[in-house]
Amino acid sequence: MTSGRRNRAPSLALWIGLFLAVGGLVWSFRPTASNAQTQLEAEGQQLYAASCSTCHGLTADGTANGPSLQGVGPAAVDFMLSSGRMPLADPGQQPVRQEPRFTDDQIAALVAYVRSIAPGGPEIPDVDTARGELPRGFQLFLNNCSGCHGAAGIGDSVGGGQIAPSLYPPNATQIGEAIRIGPGVMPRFGENDLSRSDVDSIARYLEWVRDNGDEGGFQLGRVGAVAEGLIALAVGLGSLVLVLRLTGAKE
Amino acid sequence: MRSPSRWVALALGASTLASLALFGVYLGGGDPQAEGVLLFVALGGVGAALMIWARFLMPEVRDRTQPRHHGPEPAQELEGAAETVTRGVEEMRRRRFLFRLLLGAAAALGVAAIFPIRSLGRAPGSSLFHTHWRAGDRLVDEEGAPITRDTLEVDSFTTVFPEHSPGSADSQAVLIRVQPGTLRLPPDRAAGAPDGYVVYSKICTHAGCALGLYLAAVQQLRCPCHQSTFDVLDGARPVYGPAPRPLPQLPISIEGDGTIRATGDFPEPVGPSFWDLST
Amino acid sequence: MIVKRFVEGMDDRLEGTSFIQRNLKKVFPDHWSYMLGEIALYSFVLLVLTGTFLSFFYIASPALVTYDGPYAPLHGQTVSAAYDSVMRISFEVQAGLVMRQIHHWAALLFMSAIGFHLLRVFFTGAFRRPREVSWVIGVGLLLTGIAAGFSGYSLPDDSLSGAGLRIAYSVILSIPFVGTWIAYLFFGGEFPGPEILNRLLILHVFIVPLLLIAQLGAHLGVVWHQTHTQFRAPGRTEDTVYGTPVWPKFAMKAVGLAFVTFAVLALLGGLFQINPVWLNGPFVPYTTASPSQPDVYVGWLEGLLRLWPNWEFEVFGHTIGELFLPGVVVPGVLFTALAAWPFIEARVGGDHEWHNFSQRPREAPVRAGIGAAAIALFTVLVLAGGNDVVAKYLNVEVDHLNVILRWLLLIAPVVAGGLTWWICRDLDKTDDHPIAVPARVRFRRNVVGGFDRESDEPPSAGIEKAPES
Repeated sequence: MTSGRRNRAPSLALWIGLFLAVGGLVWSFRPTASNAQTQLEAEGQQLYAASCSTCHGLTADGTANGPSLQGVGPAAVDFMLSSGRMPLADPGQQPVRQEPRFTDDQIAALVAYVRSIAPGGPEIPDVDTARGELPRGFQLFLNNCSGCHGAAGIGDSVGGGQIAPSLYPPNATQIGEAIRIGPGVMPRFGENDLSRSDVDSIARYLEWVRDNGDEGGFQLGRVGAVAEGLIALAVGLGSLVLVLRLTGAKE
Repeated sequence: MRSPSRWVALALGASTLASLALFGVYLGGGDPQAEGVLLFVALGGVGAALMIWARFLMPEVRDRTQPRHHGPEPAQELEGAAETVTRGVEEMRRRRFLFRLLLGAAAALGVAAIFPIRSLGRAPGSSLFHTHWRAGDRLVDEEGAPITRDTLEVDSFTTVFPEHSPGSADSQAVLIRVQPGTLRLPPDRAAGAPDGYVVYSKICTHAGCALGLYLAAVQQLRCPCHQSTFDVLDGARPVYGPAPRPLPQLPISIEGDGTIRATGDFPEPVGPSFWDLST
Repeated sequence: MIVKRFVEGMDDRLEGTSFIQRNLKKVFPDHWSYMLGEIALYSFVLLVLTGTFLSFFYIASPALVTYDGPYAPLHGQTVSAAYDSVMRISFEVQAGLVMRQIHHWAALLFMSAIGFHLLRVFFTGAFRRPREVSWVIGVGLLLTGIAAGFSGYSLPDDSLSGAGLRIAYSVILSIPFVGTWIAYLFFGGEFPGPEILNRLLILHVFIVPLLLIAQLGAHLGVVWHQTHTQFRAPGRTEDTVYGTPVWPKFAMKAVGLAFVTFAVLALLGGLFQINPVWLNGPFVPYTTASPSQPDVYVGWLEGLLRLWPNWEFEVFGHTIGELFLPGVVVPGVLFTALAAWPFIEARVGGDHEWHNFSQRPREAPVRAGIGAAAIALFTVLVLAGGNDVVAKYLNVEVDHLNVILRWLLLIAPVVAGGLTWWICRDLDKTDDHPIAVPARVRFRRNVVGGFDRESDEPPSAGIEKAPES
């Protein structure tokens, strides 16, 4: 209050301001994903080094045994790992669906790590079959997918040493991932061609047709005329020939 | 078989019950599996009953050997029949002029009767040599939505039509987007496939099925019917299977705003071969 | 009493007593393999019955309608009236689906039974003079049956039948000179055209059944008139036939077999799904699904088309399309050879005798070998027709399978034919049935408590023991 207060300590407002400034500065240096590895990525790095780097290279740039992962996208990594296609024991083999080697958490770790060393590519799609429309899914599936995968999604040989697999085992996310990345010899379909709601619809149709559509009885693998011909001969004619043998003369 | 009559009764009884149950199934709205099984019992019961009855309950007939009363016709009778027929024809042919007139009239009548059959179809004309594509036609999908350069990613494909005839059978084509610079087309074809976008006819040149298999990793188009395979980068040349000719290529151009337009019709007839293909 | 009055009344007016008497007492041999033709006949009867039912609901029109039935994935979709009517039959008409499925299974059984009946007639030489007429009519029935089946499964207008029609159109196109004209005549223009469904319907429900019934009548009439063949046995001669009289025993057995055939087809129709058009989807000309196979009785043709190399020929500036040879020429040659077989065999073998006995296959080793070769060829072709399915289930590359099948096409008939010829020739030397009932052996206790083997009982009567060599 007197004019002799020139050497007094700074006011409370100044202390608060200083504290906020220093605190803000310190806060801005907190470790973010872009600046340092998260724990998930660290875990992924360990798994990657052990299971993937031999073929795909430590920097995901590929080796003689396996392709580069640059730009493949988290969708591809998640698809390959969650469907058990990767890791591939023998690089000369074609990847096929089997029991996944990793748990969901480990897969998430690997996805995070590969995303960090190989950025870009399709993200894991958010597919919700409840959002899709069944008739649209059926139509889209027939026009875009049935040539390789069969009208009912049972799969077929497509040449090139490949078999377009049955679409009954994958879940909706995996279907969306495959559509976006085009695994193996499959082409891919971007969002301008098959929108997100289109993918929802296709996944919804596949989910539906997996459990429905067999009003006629035993579906015989939904293979069509090959199985039908076999049954007609074996069951139809076979049983009747049996009846003939029982009732007719044999000599 | 012991007590066949009991089995017959059982079979007929089961059949009757099944028929009645079938009535119930129909009233209840129907179920194909139940209907099939019940029909099986209903029909099979009658069948089994009849067969068991015939086999075990019918008395054995004593006289089971009969003469076959038709053997080779003796030569005289054969000649006799042939004689009768030819003699009748000879009678007609004696009036030589009238007979020929009759034959002529019958032939003319036959031809006249066939003429209405022409209405069943029309002359092929040049229709097999053209599709609905014209220069300047915008590419659209099966619902009529325009296709632009942003529609497809690399290693992707879609079915395209001219904008005035979406879904038309002879104009169906596949637009494929490959890495720019990887197409190996001859110079006169390369101009019609800019920036790695190329359009081929979707109708297989073997037997006409729609080519729905695009194996992106090996850049092949394959037909689901008989496995004809075409090399996408090499002008859709057949590399496997029974297809004899490459797929015709539709020349396209891409405008500044991304619209894709055809610059002409297919230069060859689409689809399987026919007699006048090269004329 | 009523029956007696009725027959007397008819006879009084038509004077058919001796006709009725003679024919009701006619005997027919009983061998089980003689009934295969009957199975085909009864399948045909059921085809007509179920087909009539279906024809009241089917609409042969390509006009577009909006589906509003209970099958959810098609709700609100635009489909042809034909496809819509088949969906209605399958999901809304009372017993529609089971009738439709019985109809299709009956078609498969009809063709299979014809095939096995043909094999029986072939291997037993029952087509020899005087029965060449029956044989030729029978081949006609086979061809007409294929036409019936093809036209029938093209009616639902689903993607599978559309693919089949497109292939048929292309095969016709490949015919030199007149191919395009015939194709345009048949389809009313360029594929698919708006007329084809209606024309197929008229073929399927009118023209082809008329042809089938006419040929059937002729076929059965000739067999009736000429009396059936029979196997050799003690007491039988060329001039007599031994069997069961038509009325009542044979007729009862026959009607019983008819009902059993209907029963088996009803069971198949209810329990086994066939041609699920709702899964295949409606036909659109720019989509073909895989796998795409025709019914098995056309499967051999499909195999030819898949395995045939991509040869195409230019003659004087014109093209002989690749499909012409495997699609028209080869089937034409095969069926002509089949129809002419009795005459070929008579000419080559020099046997123009009248035969009323059927032979055991071993008595004609060359014919049996040729027949086995034909069966092997047919089987390889049918497998080739389904090569992508076979490859998927065997987990092999389909292109590799094609290589194997092509080799099999050449090797399998030779091996099968040669082996059969050799076995038949061998069997013919002995008279024992290859699956003979072994002679009964008797044992008797002897003095020291063991067993002595008594002399063998002679084998069953009617088969003589082979002479000691």
